[in-house]
Amino acid sequence: MSEPAPRACSRDFPGTVEAASDAENWVALQANALGLGQEAEFAIGLCLEELFLNAVKHGHANHASISLCAEPNGVIVEFADDGEPFDPTRAPAKRINGPTDDFDIGGYGTGLMHKFSRRISYRRFEGMNRLVLEFEADRNANASRGR
Amino acid sequence: MDMKVFQVDDEITHVVLDGRFDIQGAQEVDSGFDQLAKSSKALIVDLAKVSFLASLGIRTLMLSAKTLIRRGGEMAVCGPNENVEKVLRTTGFNEVAGIYPDYESAARTLRERLAAFSSKKA
Repeated sequence: MSEPAPRACSRDFPGTVEAASDAENWVALQANALGLGQEAEFAIGLCLEELFLNAVKHGHANHASISLCAEPNGVIVEFADDGEPFDPTRAPAKRINGPTDDFDIGGYGTGLMHKFSRRISYRRFEGMNRLVLEFEADRNANASRGR
Repeated sequence: MDMKVFQVDDEITHVVLDGRFDIQGAQEVDSGFDQLAKSSKALIVDLAKVSFLASLGIRTLMLSAKTLIRRGGEMAVCGPNENVEKVLRTTGFNEVAGIYPDYESAARTLRERLAAFSSKKA
C-alpha cells in the first residue's frame, strides 16, 4: 500500500494580536481538516500562539505567515515574520522552581515549544525570522482519514 | 470561553471553565480572574472542560496565583486533560498551585491547608 501524499496549507496574517487569535482558529480548523489528530493540533496551536504573540508584541512584526504540511512521519510547520531578529531556539527555557510568590508571569514559551515539538530550527532570511517546527503525527488519525 | 463562579462557602470559590483557553478565551475571562484573585480566600479552577491552554491562558492563571498568594490565599486547579497538565507542569505552575484530579480532592486539601494556617496564627 502506498503512503498518502503530503497535504499542506498556508496563509498570511497581519501582525496584530487580533490576527494571532484568527490564526489560532485557522490552525485549529486546518489541523482538523488535515486529520492531524488532537495531540498534534494542541502542540501546533500552543507553539504558534507563543511565536505569533512574541513576533507582534516584542518583535513589532507587521506580517506573519504560517504553513502546515502533514507528512506520513510527522507534521512540518513553518512560521515566518518580518519582526526584529529573534531566535527562540537560543532563548533560555524558564520554569518556576519551588513554592514562591516571586515568579515571572511570562517567558515560559521556549520551554513549552521544546517540550511540545520534536525539533525546532531557526534562520534569518531575506529580512524574516523563519522557524521550522516538527511535530509527531497522530498516525491513526492520518490513516483513518486516508481510508 | 465560558466561566462559571460558585461561592461554595466562606473559604472556597469554585471556578468552572469550559472551552479553549487561547487568546480569545483568555481575553474573555481575564477581568473575572482579576476580581477573584483580589477577593477570594481559596480559588479552585476547574479545567476539566478546557481543551486547550497556551501562552495567554497560562499568564491569566499565573497572575491570579501570584495575586492570591501575596494576599495569603491559596489556589489550585483540578481535572486538567493530559496536554493541559503537561503545559502546567512544564512551566512549573504546579510549584505554586496544586494540580488535583477532581474538585473534591482539591477542596479537601485547600481546607486542610487553610485550617493549618489558622491554627498556626492562633
